[in-house]
Amino acid sequence: MAFNFNWSPLIADTTRAKDMLTAALNKSPKPPIIVDDIIVTELNLGSIPPELEILEIGDLAEDRFRGIFKMSYTGDAFLTLKTRVQANPLNTYLSTKPSFASPQPLAAASSLTIPLSITLSDFRLSGFVILVFSRQKGLTLVFRNDPLESLKVSSTFDSIPFVRDYLQKEIEGQLRVLFMEDLPAILHRLSLRLFVPDYQEMEEQHAPAIRGANTVDPLYNPAQDPIDNAGNALDEGDLAGWSLDSAETHASFSNKNILRLAALAESQKTLSLFTPSIQGAVFRAWAGAAERAESSGLQSPTLTRSALSRVQSTLSTTSLSAPSISEGSDTGTTASRPSISGASSIYSGLGLGGGRSRNSNRKRKKRVINLRKDKTDDCTTPETPITPLATPSSAPALSQDDDLSLTLRPVHRNVHFNAKPTSLDVFDNQGPSRQTSTPSHEDSTPTYTQAPVPFAPQVLHHPKPTTSSRTPLLQTTSLDRYPSSSSPTLLASPSIAEVSMSNLASTGGILEQAWMMKMAKEIARKVAEERERSRSPDEGSARPPLRRAGDGKAVQAAWDRERKRSDEGASEAPPAYVA
Amino acid sequence: MLGFMDYIQRAFYDATHWNIDNSYGSLTATAQNLLDFDTPRGLRLNVSSLASPQMGTSYAVGTVGLVDGSISYLYSSLPLSKSSKSTEIQLEEVIQGYRHLQDLRTPDQSWWWERWQGGRRTDRKNTLMYGRMFLPRGTLEALYLRRISPTRQLRLSCVSDSALNNGGTVLGLVQNDHGKYCTEYLYSTDSGLCGIRGLYNFGPDPRIAAQDQESDDMREPVHGRFSAGAELYYGILNKSGGASLGLRFTTLPQHAGFPYTMTLTLNPLMGNLSSTYAVKAGRNLALCSRFNFNFYSYESDFQLGCELWRRQVPNDADIAWAKNKIRPEWIDGSASPTDDVSGVLKARVDQDWRIGLLWEGRFKEMLFTLGGLIDLKRRERIVGAIGVEFQYSS
Repeated sequence: MAFNFNWSPLIADTTRAKDMLTAALNKSPKPPIIVDDIIVTELNLGSIPPELEILEIGDLAEDRFRGIFKMSYTGDAFLTLKTRVQANPLNTYLSTKPSFASPQPLAAASSLTIPLSITLSDFRLSGFVILVFSRQKGLTLVFRNDPLESLKVSSTFDSIPFVRDYLQKEIEGQLRVLFMEDLPAILHRLSLRLFVPDYQEMEEQHAPAIRGANTVDPLYNPAQDPIDNAGNALDEGDLAGWSLDSAETHASFSNKNILRLAALAESQKTLSLFTPSIQGAVFRAWAGAAERAESSGLQSPTLTRSALSRVQSTLSTTSLSAPSISEGSDTGTTASRPSISGASSIYSGLGLGGGRSRNSNRKRKKRVINLRKDKTDDCTTPETPITPLATPSSAPALSQDDDLSLTLRPVHRNVHFNAKPTSLDVFDNQGPSRQTSTPSHEDSTPTYTQAPVPFAPQVLHHPKPTTSSRTPLLQTTSLDRYPSSSSPTLLASPSIAEVSMSNLASTGGILEQAWMMKMAKEIARKVAEERERSRSPDEGSARPPLRRAGDGKAVQAAWDRERKRSDEGASEAPPAYVA
Repeated sequence: MLGFMDYIQRAFYDATHWNIDNSYGSLTATAQNLLDFDTPRGLRLNVSSLASPQMGTSYAVGTVGLVDGSISYLYSSLPLSKSSKSTEIQLEEVIQGYRHLQDLRTPDQSWWWERWQGGRRTDRKNTLMYGRMFLPRGTLEALYLRRISPTRQLRLSCVSDSALNNGGTVLGLVQNDHGKYCTEYLYSTDSGLCGIRGLYNFGPDPRIAAQDQESDDMREPVHGRFSAGAELYYGILNKSGGASLGLRFTTLPQHAGFPYTMTLTLNPLMGNLSSTYAVKAGRNLALCSRFNFNFYSYESDFQLGCELWRRQVPNDADIAWAKNKIRPEWIDGSASPTDDVSGVLKARVDQDWRIGLLWEGRFKEMLFTLGGLIDLKRRERIVGAIGVEFQYSS
């Protein structure tokens, strides 16, 4: 792992930094001795960069970073300020006192303002810096301790030792405040301004997780280039007519629709207590939840707990947080089994989700890579080859479930990738999660332990044929897994969290989803043809889910008024699945 | 315009024969009245009353965005006979304008104040106490004023405010006024500020003049008075100080021409030089100018100010018929305005075209102050703070 800190561009453009520094200096109420605005006339960061020693990296992704540095700086940066000061101490003294009890001198308090220019140079800084960067939230830099060791203050009053000492003392004090309080704020704003287009884009999309993987969520956005099932391009007029209302086809989901679906699934969730748990059957409520989790990337606490954490607990005893990234990196190195490495990345995402769902959604945010403890991590890595075994269990499960667990998902895939079979395959990874999750909701432990174990062997057999074609792709996209794996933290955005509250079948998680989509895109082209040939009946099976969705939509329309109908919709679901 | 409580304080000074003009602090009172007047902000209403000759209350409510107010009480051991009704208050006494200094008054002999009854001395030193509470902020002002002797006065002013260091500050001021000269010693608890001020009046000593009254006719009358003073401050805690010197020449009532006042103050430490010239150009008009120059920073500024008094034209319509009948030739004389003032307009302008305007007068039974600030340089907001203040007292 290497970092490239580029110091020279920072030197180039300091005008904006000067402006912001000026604004920051004038924002806070100034001491009465300063009677004019403080203007930063010169700001030079110097040619010598600060020395950074990485102590700890808590979170690392393409768009996010979190780490602790030890910084020491002995460079040649300098800063020149210009302002005017009140030279009469009596004047400043009286200006802060109530006039009632002031001695009201006649002329002794007359003002004498003196232009003052201060040059700060020879900064000696050393301290611990906590740097948190995220593409949406900008850059946060916090000094853990007081970084200022010494600096040289030269001013107009250097010839007067008393004034010089006073200024030195005052400015050091002010700079300490600046470093500890103002500088983080300035940097934050600066970074926000730098990333503001991204930031705005983010806000528009409302789906920050997916952004990291550079994919478009079909459920939240109208299809980018919509096509129908036959692969013909659609124009916007057609698109407008396509909503969930029309039972036949829907190639695009609007944000509103997805919210409705979420609400529907949730309502079903709430009533799920009254639905009998049938082994081997997937209820529509669960299916909807699974789908939504996949789309929104939010993980349901209940499901993930059962499905994921169990898997992990059974298979690996390592802590939930630590191995996640190390696994990813290690699997990249295990070139012998690329297919599994992909699976393991999924798994890591799953593990993440499980760990997170255990606490509140927000809590488990960081995975810590302590660079100092590389050796201890290595000890854990040997387990990783084992862990992949668990996750693939999901993939083969699909093959079983293919007929049962036909949901809306294949449809989206159709829209998106124009390659149904692969998309099905990809999504089928979630099959087991559904399966395991349904029972686990009622009582997680018993069904749970059974489920993953039998599947595990299948995994080994099944994915190989499909992934054999993937292997090169995996290598190329190995980096992309980082953002996708990290995306869960981004996901916690409240808007989504509000919608999808509790239990979404989250086996996929965003990680899986994001990665899937990426993979699927690339695989689609190659695998599509042969798969399509072999699995042509699946196309027919893909239709039913659409109708079901239509039913769900109809139910949803009435959902606000009466919840019974949604229940009804749920009861209708099983037949649809069978079909 | 003086507030009601300030007006009562002045009445106390008058009643105890204390000359507030004979102090270094009031050396430039004329220029300050004409150039540094405060313009009201927002709407302010004062209701005051001198319930008894010794006790006064005042309530103030004001709004500048948010409503605030104050309650103040005053006690004077010396019964004050000044009329306190806002309908009867003389505007000349509450409106501070050109201060036409009078002849120095001979200090009272201390035995004049003695009062004996049954072989025991029964007189008490006159005291004034005053307190004011600002309501939303909880700031408390207190004043203790005591005439220790005919030539000495003690003044303690305190402010209690949580925003201040140590929660408040006390200023003690001892003033000695011997007519010919005046000294003041002050101490402020805030940063341990010590100060001394002195003023010396050149010319005849009023104490000696009082003794040889008969020789008064022999000497030629004094037309003006030249005074010189200095002040020195030193803050013990913050180890900083300040000093200034001042000169004043002002004409006395014996002067035949326009009354005028010239002052020159110098702050040798800060290099500030300020000169003022004020002239009472007519019965109703006073003009003043001030020039500040700093010979360290070469900064200078210039201010001009004027005040215009409006006198009431006597309304004698009810007796006009009689006059016309008896003395038709008196018409000219009856039209001349009386001494009653109906209002004063004050204006000032400085070199940056910042203009301050103030109109003070009487409206119905209330005294009002209407003022505003105009800044001609600022195009976007020429008219600055505007305010009206009403005072009613009974």
